[in-house]
Amino acid sequence: MKKLLLLFLTVCLLVFISACSNDAEGEEPEEDTSGEEQQTDDSSENEDTNEEATDEKVEAVFWHAMSGGGQESIEAIVDNFNQSQDQYTIIPEFQGSYEEALTKFRSVGGTEDAPAIIQTFEVGTKYMIDSGFIEPVQSFIDQEGYDINQLEENILNYYTVDDQLYSMPFNSSTPVMLYNKDAFEEAGLDPENPPQTFEEIKEAAEKLTVKDGDNTERYGFSILNYGWFIEELIATQGGLFVNNDNGRSEEATEAVFNGEEGLRVFQLIDEMNKAGTYGNFGSNWDDIRAAFQTENTAMYLDSSAGVAGTVENAPFEVGVAYIPYSEEAERNGVIIGGASLWMSNGIEEEKQQAAWEFMKFLQTPESQAKWHIDTGYFAINPAAYDEEIVQERWEEFPQLKVTVDQLQETKPSYATQGALISVFPEARQQVVTAMENVLQGTDPQEALDQAAEETNRVMEQANRANE
Amino acid sequence: MKSTAEIQEKSINKIDLKWRFIHWRSAILYLLPSIILFSVFLFYPLGKTLYLSFFLTDQQGNANVFVGLENFQYILQAESFHKSIKATILFVLYTVPTGVIISLFLALLANEKIRGVGIFRTIYSSTMGISVAASAVVWLFIFHPSMGILNQLITSIGGTSIDWLLHPDWALVSVSITTIWMNIGFSFLILLGGLQNIDDHLYESAKISGASYFYQLRRITIPMLSPTLFFVITVSLINAFQTFGQVDILTQGGPSESTNLIVYSIYREAFVNYQFGTASAQSIFLFICILIVTILQFKFGERKVHYQ
Repeated sequence: MKKLLLLFLTVCLLVFISACSNDAEGEEPEEDTSGEEQQTDDSSENEDTNEEATDEKVEAVFWHAMSGGGQESIEAIVDNFNQSQDQYTIIPEFQGSYEEALTKFRSVGGTEDAPAIIQTFEVGTKYMIDSGFIEPVQSFIDQEGYDINQLEENILNYYTVDDQLYSMPFNSSTPVMLYNKDAFEEAGLDPENPPQTFEEIKEAAEKLTVKDGDNTERYGFSILNYGWFIEELIATQGGLFVNNDNGRSEEATEAVFNGEEGLRVFQLIDEMNKAGTYGNFGSNWDDIRAAFQTENTAMYLDSSAGVAGTVENAPFEVGVAYIPYSEEAERNGVIIGGASLWMSNGIEEEKQQAAWEFMKFLQTPESQAKWHIDTGYFAINPAAYDEEIVQERWEEFPQLKVTVDQLQETKPSYATQGALISVFPEARQQVVTAMENVLQGTDPQEALDQAAEETNRVMEQANRANE
Repeated sequence: MKSTAEIQEKSINKIDLKWRFIHWRSAILYLLPSIILFSVFLFYPLGKTLYLSFFLTDQQGNANVFVGLENFQYILQAESFHKSIKATILFVLYTVPTGVIISLFLALLANEKIRGVGIFRTIYSSTMGISVAASAVVWLFIFHPSMGILNQLITSIGGTSIDWLLHPDWALVSVSITTIWMNIGFSFLILLGGLQNIDDHLYESAKISGASYFYQLRRITIPMLSPTLFFVITVSLINAFQTFGQVDILTQGGPSESTNLIVYSIYREAFVNYQFGTASAQSIFLFICILIVTILQFKFGERKVHYQ
């Protein structure tokens, strides 16, 4: 028994140690960012001593959800802002994914500990408006007479609710279709003339699919199992996602994505899947990108923010096209995705002022140009596209321009403005489940109806709880 | 005389009471640290969960509409929760027996006294040192649809590739394989400890009387190991019910909700959909399930356990 006890103790110890080391790992990024804060603090201190006379600077915390290249770029822009003036210091803090950052914000929102600025993804818009934790940026725009018209109209549209701009758009992206030009040539298709409608996609996919016995070596077309793409394919046909003009004219009460537009999308997936030309690569962005890179799929939908990376890494010529639409409808364009910056209320006024100054700084063509070429997200200020660095980049990657054109050609309407519902994350989950069910052979209409019904239930529950 | 006896009795009673109080006080004092810790980390959350399960929560997560048992009614009739229950039961059936049998087999092998056995013991128990996240990511690459080594192996020997994580029938199997692999280290180590604890004299006597290896296994090893086995089975069972990390990394509950185990479903309700009421109702349901299973196990399983 003694031995057993000893063993058990060592096991406990091991678990304890590994738990501790996990903690330490978890803390590492925080330490990193605090290190960086230290640096920015240091640099600002240096400035202080240089300029001597200035009062103490106002510090405002900025929560963001950008990792990797996006984080580097954002920190560089913040640094530029902190150097550009001597009144305010913005402290950028990485808070994990959009969901994680929002969950943390829920617990501090409305208190003094809330960050001055928080980056929130587009489907969190309705939640943020209803939360009561935020100050609409419109109040600062009105106060100062800031010229909002210099910014991209189609992006502003999304974040404008009841004629008020609630948050400052920051990183916006749209879906595009990427295709393998080499594979197009091989299959006898014109690589400069990619398929535009659902029918054309189907035909092209037929030719692009390569089979080896039972194994499919290359599928013609793929869509990530992610609700955003379905929303976009419905919107580009002019279809709505929820009733009451996508929840824009009045609180949405019912999901309508199971209408004819949604059905067309699901039928396309169903027919292609049954014909063996549709590749299912799951719900992970990296997996579908890897499938494209390794030529397991010839065409797929991706975010415009992923275009530069894919073009750079692919061992073949990559083409970028607009997302396809049904021949039974007109092309309406795309809804913007991505995130925007929200300002907290309940914090000191001078912090809000710092946040506002930073937001304005972000919208300058120089900042936007840097942001666009670093990440592939859109420039909110179209003047950025005239900046030299952007022009150079476009010459190198002409594919990037396609994404901008698609956005600028979008017809403003309720459909392309995007839906406004507080239970968006859940609705998306339901759509993904429906998509997966269709791929397993469920009838498209039945799968959609089920998802709509479930979405209706959570919408009703949310409306009840928030009355 | 009578009165003095009475007085004596009374005072004895008094002293008795006094001592009782002192004993009680010191007992409480000794228990205090664990009472405080349990209250903060277990009893309070449990109470709060129960409370939340009777409410709808608003965007701030405040309980503001009392709905009685509606959350429970909903989860019991919701198809997606039925799927979760089914997936969880299947998952427990896939992982617990297989995991324990493989660990037992490895422990028996590693218990043999041969040269270099230490190396094997280290290898077999090594999965214990890897975190859930790290091992799930490794398996994510093994199962990868376009670059996964498993599919490359299968196609190179002429088979058809399998949609490990993308087909509802295979996804749960894939998550189970990952889980079994991850849990083997822990079960192996505990079982090996149990095996080493068995008195050698028993085997010596068995050898003298000419019992075969399997007879020894059946009549000596397994009965003597039963307390350890019981412990391992109970712990693996509870772990299986509470699986979260591998699901989150490998499948996010998909495809078609086939791997949406109850704990994952709770997480999604609470932190993706912000329906704390529904999530709490599911938690209470899971709590009751585990409670019942554990009680049953102690009632029926323990009878077969032989304590030395």
